[in-house]
Amino acid sequence: MDINGKLYKKFLERNAAYSQQHGSVGMKKQHSKGKLTARERLMLLFDSDTFNEIDAFTKTSPSESNFGKVVNAYGDGVIIGHGKISGRPAFAYSQDFTIMGGSLGSVHAKKIAKIQDMALKMGAPMIGIIDSGGARIQEGVASLAGYAGIFRRNVISSGVIPQISVIMGPAAGGAVYSPSITDFVFMTNKTSYMFVTGPNVVKEVLNEDVSFDELGGAEVHMKKSGVAHFVYEDEENTLLGVKKLLSYLPSNNMENPPTAEVYEEKLEPESALLEIVPDDPNKPYDIKDVIKHIVDRDTFFEISENYAQNIVVGFARLHGRTLGILANQPKVLAGTLDINSSVKGARFIRYCDSFNIPLLTLEDVPGFLPGLDQEHNGIIRHGAKLLYAYADATIPKITVILRKSYGGAYCVMNSKNLGGDFNFAWPTAEIAVMGPEGAVSILYRKELIESDDPVKLKKELAKRYRDEIANPYVADEKGYIDEVIDPALTRKKLISAFEALENKHVNSPARKHGNIPL
Amino acid sequence: MKVKSLLIANRGEIAIRICETAKKMGIKTYGIKTPKEPNAYYLNFVDEVVDFSEDLEEIPEFLDVERLIEAAKTSKADAIHPGYGFLSENPYFAKRCEEEKILFIGPSADIIYKMGNKTIAKQLARKHNVPLLQGSHSNVRNPEEAVKIANKIGFPVILKAAAGGGGRGMRIVEKESQIEKMFRLATSEAEKAFNDGSVFIEKYVRNPKHIEFQVFGDKHGNYIHLGERECSIQRKHQKLLEEAPSSALNEALRAEMGEAAIRIAKSVKYFTAGTVEFLLDDDKNYYFMEMNTRIQVEHPVTEKITNLDLIELQIKTAAGEELPIKQEDVKLDGWAIECRINAEDVQAGFSPFLGVIEKVQFPKSKHIRIDTGISDKSVVTPYFDSMIAKLIVHSENREKAIQNTINALNKFWIKGIKTTIPFCKAVLSHPKFKKGDFNTSFIEKEMKEMFYKGENDELLAAFFATFNHAASLETDRSTFVDFEKGKNISPWVLNKRLKSL
Amino acid sequence: MAEKKKNKELEFIAVSTKNNKYKVKNIFSEDLKINYKKFDFQIFDDENGFTYIKHKNKKYHAEILEKNQNKYEILLNGVSYSFSIETPFSYTRKRYLDKQKSKSKVEILQAPMPGKIIDVLVEPGAVVKNGETVIILEAMKMQNEITIQANGKVTKVHVKPNDTVNKDDILIEVNL
Repeated sequence: MDINGKLYKKFLERNAAYSQQHGSVGMKKQHSKGKLTARERLMLLFDSDTFNEIDAFTKTSPSESNFGKVVNAYGDGVIIGHGKISGRPAFAYSQDFTIMGGSLGSVHAKKIAKIQDMALKMGAPMIGIIDSGGARIQEGVASLAGYAGIFRRNVISSGVIPQISVIMGPAAGGAVYSPSITDFVFMTNKTSYMFVTGPNVVKEVLNEDVSFDELGGAEVHMKKSGVAHFVYEDEENTLLGVKKLLSYLPSNNMENPPTAEVYEEKLEPESALLEIVPDDPNKPYDIKDVIKHIVDRDTFFEISENYAQNIVVGFARLHGRTLGILANQPKVLAGTLDINSSVKGARFIRYCDSFNIPLLTLEDVPGFLPGLDQEHNGIIRHGAKLLYAYADATIPKITVILRKSYGGAYCVMNSKNLGGDFNFAWPTAEIAVMGPEGAVSILYRKELIESDDPVKLKKELAKRYRDEIANPYVADEKGYIDEVIDPALTRKKLISAFEALENKHVNSPARKHGNIPL
Repeated sequence: MKVKSLLIANRGEIAIRICETAKKMGIKTYGIKTPKEPNAYYLNFVDEVVDFSEDLEEIPEFLDVERLIEAAKTSKADAIHPGYGFLSENPYFAKRCEEEKILFIGPSADIIYKMGNKTIAKQLARKHNVPLLQGSHSNVRNPEEAVKIANKIGFPVILKAAAGGGGRGMRIVEKESQIEKMFRLATSEAEKAFNDGSVFIEKYVRNPKHIEFQVFGDKHGNYIHLGERECSIQRKHQKLLEEAPSSALNEALRAEMGEAAIRIAKSVKYFTAGTVEFLLDDDKNYYFMEMNTRIQVEHPVTEKITNLDLIELQIKTAAGEELPIKQEDVKLDGWAIECRINAEDVQAGFSPFLGVIEKVQFPKSKHIRIDTGISDKSVVTPYFDSMIAKLIVHSENREKAIQNTINALNKFWIKGIKTTIPFCKAVLSHPKFKKGDFNTSFIEKEMKEMFYKGENDELLAAFFATFNHAASLETDRSTFVDFEKGKNISPWVLNKRLKSL
Repeated sequence: MAEKKKNKELEFIAVSTKNNKYKVKNIFSEDLKINYKKFDFQIFDDENGFTYIKHKNKKYHAEILEKNQNKYEILLNGVSYSFSIETPFSYTRKRYLDKQKSKSKVEILQAPMPGKIIDVLVEPGAVVKNGETVIILEAMKMQNEITIQANGKVTKVHVKPNDTVNKDDILIEVNL
């Protein structure tokens, strides 16, 4: 080819123009706000020199009216492409706030749809980096239609490939629904927002003054709404977090999750486990200390750690294999199940089930959280989600009962008859319809009223109740518990149990889909 | 009578300390296991464990008089040692022991009552010509009365719980307008801590030194004192570092104050170990404060400079033996410093720091003594006080003792929790402390930093944090995740997985 | 090869809570520099399970007390130091955001330790002075006076007597 010829020259010119567009001006603008550019973000996400952009030179279709300002720039405010993350193919789009505020017009939407389709066809993870003012007003219905197309693709891909949204700027109005359909939402603290209606509208309609941060900042979504699963303080760490999460996940629902190299064969008894859980059923402890001592060192990666903290969910590795963990947290609300924690748990189980990730349940639950507020807001409906998710999941499911396991909560938390593959208990387990004090008050109501020393009698009866009913041995003898295990050997037991379940498969009856109580 | 077996109604380091002496004296020990710390370290030192962990009672184990008496009776222990805190100065407990014919290691219920009631104690002191601070001669009933007395003796004044000790229920009042609020606080705190809300009022000496004398008496009319302890390093009336002797006293003053202390002991026919507390002002005037009728936390500094076993003397005199030594046999040798190592976050206002002690390494040397109730994996619980160890260093003089203590603290490593070690270092390296120029307001007024920090320490910490961060990023990067393996699915699963779609 | 070179050039900035900066270059190499000066440290794990830094023939006991993302709390010889470890870019970002933050003037008083609220001495609207006692919190059987470290006007009181609070729970908000 004639590299001095006209054809090649045009090619070089275009490239130069494109480089200039991504050059210093836009970069400065973003950097001055503490943000990286769309391109820099992709470079950090993908392994070096592996990202390939496509559709770099698309342009906005000429507008029919001249309403508003139309900037003529390559790419239409979004970069799409593919590359490798930790050596594995992945697809991504990254919105460019410096071009028309990253607003979504029809070309912009088409590009995102294109990369979504590719990811689905290839069975590879799809990552969206969002930094956009929302629908492009000038383009009217075309931008709305664009959003709808993206949502539909999100739904079709759901449960087939991992979809991850990374919010690194505003995501307002309809734009928030794409992230909320995807599997995991990352946010960068202080520079990202998500809300359906912005502060201006809130002010107009309700006359309430509310700041961006108060309405839809990362803190709010991490702690209050539960929309954000991961929040980091800066963009570099946010993208590192995305990479870390991906290292636990398979590329699609046909694969099994990846395996990591096992550095240390930790199989000797872990005596610390005997110390962490207090015998006194009323004493709290941190369940994460238990998790840490069971899984491979430093591999527990918690999801939504600041939301509905009475349940702890996350990924970890057990002998190199990815494992989903769902655990009650006695430190918060005594580990009771409430609306938020049920929903948080249920969604996590659904995710694990979609992507063939085995699930470990660590149980220490006194029951559902009682109260008017919970009942009126539908704990029945929401608690049912957790139950449904457990029963519906066909992945390997193992439960270890550490201490309390009472009433309905016993049933829900992957009990034997709900479909637990292995149900273990520690000697400290108390399995019963209710706690000793409550049970005794009901069964011996009359005796207690008539007694001269009801306090003493109650205590004696409670002790008898513990000895005769509320212990793991009764359940063990009836087969509801497969084995009462030494806490120090939990890790060893679990490794071999999950190995035994590796090839588990359940044939579900043919149906379009079940009807989960949404 | 001779003590053959002993129930220790206490926990932690003092339980272990009592075991040591008991073992030496051939006494069998019983320790109490509580559900709050069933794996506590002190249980390894007792000959037999009395298990209180099965049943949870409303009353905390070491305050449950009847349960403890019952335990002593069932285990057939001759005696009960209450240690310090808890029931050690509770006359009712001593009385119940007397009734059940169990030897209480301490003075009689009557003596405890008299000395425990500060109003009576002060009346006794007055009668025996021991200098006192001006104040209300009895309990103050209401804020109005407090105002009246305060105006008579002049501000500042201090409100104190009549049944108190250890700084609880104490409030300093600078001016009249504060008195009502402070009265309320002092009474409610006293009510909570001692089940007795009565308070009295007295003149508040600004910046005094806190000097206490160790005394002993027996049932045969013999009394001795073992010199003083300097306990002025206090924060909110909690002692943090003690030494013996005190650099503020000379021989004459020591003898004079010692005699005053003995007069107090004599006034109630005191027997066993006791401590007479004085305030010492800038002009070396001393005032009787109170007498503690128990073994003190800081007793080891006296043991070091007198070369005596105070627990042994306490048990013997309680059992009716005569004091084996006379005043002229007491020789003070060298200098001893005690640092209280508490599980506290000095940088967050000394707030309690709970957690698991992952590892502990004690300094070792011939002049170092460690009294501790913890070891690796011990748990710091919210149920008991935060002191986890005492470091006692004995040297020939004060200067050497200070230097040796700093060296010992540098080798005292605890992993997993925050402690007062950096605080103790800061005190010991403070020029005014080194000169002996300090009083009870030292921490508040003289210490700019509550913890000792070397020149490069922050930089070293920054380096350590960065190093670990970089290393963890490196591990994340280099963790080899085998994505290919996920694709090798057994035909069994693959087949079924496909079919069920 | 390119990858390796990059790691060697890694640069971090450890920022303390008091905003002291430690620029650390070449962390894993012989040519380690902190704030452009060469330093000689060695990190050891001894057989008892302690980690220490050796610097100028002195041993410093060091441990990580808490770690969250890029935030570290280090105990060095028992004294706690908190840092956030930044890259040059995230450091610029942090500085920019800190500047933004200082514009909003709200002081939040958090519970320094878990315990029970005995008394709340201020109401919304009250003017408070630096060092004033605003709350009495009972913990470890001691009544602790919680003081405010700012001058301003109380906007919100989040607790009332007899409430139990956890560490870091918000007690009072003050507008400066």
